[in-house]
Amino acid sequence: MLTSVISISLAAILTNNFIFAQFLGCCPFLGCSNKVDTATGMGLAVVFVMGLASAICWVVNEYILVVLKLEFLQTLTFILVIAALVQFVEMFLKKAVPSLYSALGIYLPLITTNCAVLGVVLLNVQNNYNFIESVVYGITGGLGFMLAIVLFASVRERIAFSDYPECFEGFPICLVSAGLLALAFMGFSGMRIV
Amino acid sequence: MNIKNQFKEGLITNNPVLVQQIGMCATMAITTTLFNGIGMGLSVLIILTCCNVVISALRKIIPNEIRLAIFVVVIAGFVTIVDLLLQAFIPALSKSLGVFIPLIVVNCIIIGRAEAFCQKNPVGASFFDGIFQGLGYTCVLIIMCVARELLGSGRFGGGLIDVANGFRFTLDGTGAGIQIFPSKYGAAILNLPFGGFITLGMLIAVMQYALKKSKKKKELAARLALEEAERKEAEA
Amino acid sequence: MNKIMKLALVLFLVCAVTAGILGVVNEITKDRIAEINRLATVAAYSAVLGADGYDTLDADTSAFPTVDKISLATNGAGHVVELTVPGAQGLITVAVGVAPDYTCTGISIISHSETSGLGANAAAQSEVGRSFREQFIGTDENVALTKSGGTIDALSGATITSNAVTTAVATAIRAVKAIG
Repeated sequence: MLTSVISISLAAILTNNFIFAQFLGCCPFLGCSNKVDTATGMGLAVVFVMGLASAICWVVNEYILVVLKLEFLQTLTFILVIAALVQFVEMFLKKAVPSLYSALGIYLPLITTNCAVLGVVLLNVQNNYNFIESVVYGITGGLGFMLAIVLFASVRERIAFSDYPECFEGFPICLVSAGLLALAFMGFSGMRIV
Repeated sequence: MNIKNQFKEGLITNNPVLVQQIGMCATMAITTTLFNGIGMGLSVLIILTCCNVVISALRKIIPNEIRLAIFVVVIAGFVTIVDLLLQAFIPALSKSLGVFIPLIVVNCIIIGRAEAFCQKNPVGASFFDGIFQGLGYTCVLIIMCVARELLGSGRFGGGLIDVANGFRFTLDGTGAGIQIFPSKYGAAILNLPFGGFITLGMLIAVMQYALKKSKKKKELAARLALEEAERKEAEA
Repeated sequence: MNKIMKLALVLFLVCAVTAGILGVVNEITKDRIAEINRLATVAAYSAVLGADGYDTLDADTSAFPTVDKISLATNGAGHVVELTVPGAQGLITVAVGVAPDYTCTGISIISHSETSGLGANAAAQSEVGRSFREQFIGTDENVALTKSGGTIDALSGATITSNAVTTAVATAIRAVKAIG
């Protein structure tokens, strides 16, 4: 059990990083990485929602969809659960932890359409993970996302001062630097807990 | 808004990936063989067109407060239908695209078009918008696939074309493609995630260059015309 | 309050209609999908071990966590072990045929998500893929890559994938030995 949890975490954060190896969550990754502060906020919000979504969707899938043989409704149910969850988390944080809400607030609604969140719950089902493995995969996948986006934001802050061809303005230069980061992350791909 | 204009917008001036810069995830992830690229592109085209038509038809009944929730349900419905049909009739495609088929639900192109276009436009225009935006997306995927496959492994049309026993198209994804040069001379790194980022970056850069150039040309033409007019005026 | 009820009703109706349509599509495609999956498994099994039928054994494989199931060929040609091992990009599901003398009779990759052009060659129906898989025929539980002193040549640029498949074969043979 412990080994599987450790190897799942290692894979989700480093070797099979959501952004750099699986391309899940690229839109917010490119959209919200102008500054390290915003990137950290987005990253935290994603960790939070991915962990919760994994737990809830696992329960919904195992005790409702599988029992009723409604597996074909997975995509529909999961996206609704995620949308409702994000909405609920937003309301809860607003009332209970205003300081966290003001830090995460604006990023929360964006998370519904973050494909890393829907991706992680679908992968949990596909990989047949049990409850603990699902939650671990959700949280560590989120941490991997956060690591990627924070690293990338600090790179981007520097890109702003550098000189590159005019036509690379905006997205292209970001994609190229993200590619180089992906290359660096490939160095982890030999790591494995057997 | 006429059809010709919409066509130009979808393919070039307002291309979903190259200009609106949405729907990146799948664009980078699955563009490793032509088979994947065309399969994904056509799936998105079909889903986008269906969603556009349904949402545009319902646009007067959908309450504004819950419109996003309803869009998501409609999109998820069509995505699941396409997912099931692919599993049943083109299992190879469904296998190689994997989780990226259900993830079309959160592809910003579809919800973006619903929000930006179908809400305000009649069914006919939305239908063509779906087709042309889908075509624009498919074209980008095809360019990415061809570039990555050719430079990465020296092949063209992997999964889709088989030349072992004469030229034929393989719809079950087993074709090995046409080997243009031996794969050991290819830059295999383009097949890795790194290649996805770089190829898309280059593609958008080229697009920006071209758009900027054509804009400059237009400005130059306008200035010349103005000068001409001024000269004529002076002569008169 | 009335407004909220109305919104909820609209949303519920849309969901219900969508779910209904999906139910119909599922009903139409269900049998076909099940048949396709069954055929894929049978094809993979018969590619590694020739037999007319396979009975899934109810064996305890808790000592081998990567083993999904072990089946016995009805004609006594040996066992087929289905394993899921982590590859470079994701999980790889492999069927390994094991003869009664505990050697490998062949392997077949049922599903994977390895890099196209590199690790994916392990499953490809190409010359490279076939010759990679054929290396495993006749190997025993000590099978290893050449760089670890064994006999299997790794796919170029895909050591992790090759290693994963090799480990799967070794585990499969040990698992069959363990259940006797």
